[in-house]
Amino acid sequence: MITFQDVGVTVATPTGPRQLLRHLTVELSQQRVVVLGANGSGKSTLLRLINGLVTPTSGQVEVNQLSPFGRQAAAVRRQVGFVFTDPLSQLLMPTAVEDIELSLRHLVSDRAERHQQALALMDQWGLGRLAQSSVYDLSGGERQLVALLSVLAVRPRVIVADEPTTLLDLRNSRLLHERLAGLDQQIIVATHDLTWAETFDRALVIDDGQLVFDGQPAAAIDHYRHLAAGEPNRTVTEATHQSLDPDSASPDAVADGPDRWPT
Amino acid sequence: MTPGAAAERVFGSYQPMGSALESWPVGCKYVALLAVALPAFVVRQWPVTLAGLVLTVILLLSARLGWRRGLGVAPGFLILLAVVWGVNAWSNSWLAGAVIVGNLTLALWASRLVVMTTPAPVLIDALVGLTRPLARWGFRPERFGLAVLIMVRSIPYLAGAFATIREAVRARGLRGRLGAQATQVVIRAVGYAQATGDAMTARGLGD
Repeated sequence: MITFQDVGVTVATPTGPRQLLRHLTVELSQQRVVVLGANGSGKSTLLRLINGLVTPTSGQVEVNQLSPFGRQAAAVRRQVGFVFTDPLSQLLMPTAVEDIELSLRHLVSDRAERHQQALALMDQWGLGRLAQSSVYDLSGGERQLVALLSVLAVRPRVIVADEPTTLLDLRNSRLLHERLAGLDQQIIVATHDLTWAETFDRALVIDDGQLVFDGQPAAAIDHYRHLAAGEPNRTVTEATHQSLDPDSASPDAVADGPDRWPT
Repeated sequence: MTPGAAAERVFGSYQPMGSALESWPVGCKYVALLAVALPAFVVRQWPVTLAGLVLTVILLLSARLGWRRGLGVAPGFLILLAVVWGVNAWSNSWLAGAVIVGNLTLALWASRLVVMTTPAPVLIDALVGLTRPLARWGFRPERFGLAVLIMVRSIPYLAGAFATIREAVRARGLRGRLGAQATQVVIRAVGYAQATGDAMTARGLGD
């Protein structure tokens, strides 16, 4: 369970303070949650709050009752795996298998054992043939799969992915979708791929730092399309009410506006 | 060439080739590196430099790295060498320039004796092990090992960034104003440092 309680993020810029996120209150208990929104809307900021890469200016964030900031930060980061848009910024080691080994350093102290476990993980994912390849020689799709595996190697409970398929072609995107769909972990994803977004359990739409829609993906996509077209969102409340589905709604979710996930 | 590929070209990276040098303990490789490279830097006479170069080439080829992977250098490095030689030939003598250029090449190739024959985790473990006695004074060996690795990963990235920006300037038909390009490289360097820091934090490294 991930909770945001009246969270705001403000940064200083040469032209004055800028609010990246304001008054965000939401509880995420569903297994698969997608975040939609334009570039610069605050999606990444929301995701980065979950593992403490961004600190809130106001409000509280909790991940399974732990705060991602301060003393509990390390514990939260062990629970939350983060997948970046560009896998190259995430892969720190020269070869694929070495990068998986880097993830395993905390868990396995013996080097030979660590190497064997890393190879076994890569084999499980059908990436064994890439083990000794330089991370620069891998294709974009292979790199993102290795990056995801290096995150999964530390056995996190939550996976956060910031536009993980933006740099991938269709085939590799699909491969990554399948991999993510097969996981037991809670998954929070930001994406511009609306077809993929439809497959999630719940969708949030962020616009100009604010949560403007929270509900079923189909209705959320509709809302997002209207936003992008610059049309007034007449359909907001209709769509939200159509999306009311008591079974999939979490009983303790916060509802403080007409566009919020219903109680 | 992407910045990453540039990183490959400068230091090279480990691929298992099944050579004898690979199976040496990493400590011995470090000693070998110092043995072939250090005398040339201390003595600064051409016969010593030449001997170091010959020895290093023999060792690199015996590690089955091949001519291209083992001895190839990035074009940027060649330009640097040419400039260094030119400046020294003009201010001192062409032989003095040759010794400096030879020593720089020797240092690069000798570093490959370790980097290209040893998996990165082994290199980190060696550094961590070496600095472990300092832990009692608050030194953090794990962090040190990681920091050195990130440094090695970063230098060629920045060299590559410079090349990328030069291409971008040319692609737009602009003439290179070195100051403006340098600013772009610094901006990229900061962005790269932030991305690397974020990735390390997100992966719980250094916690």
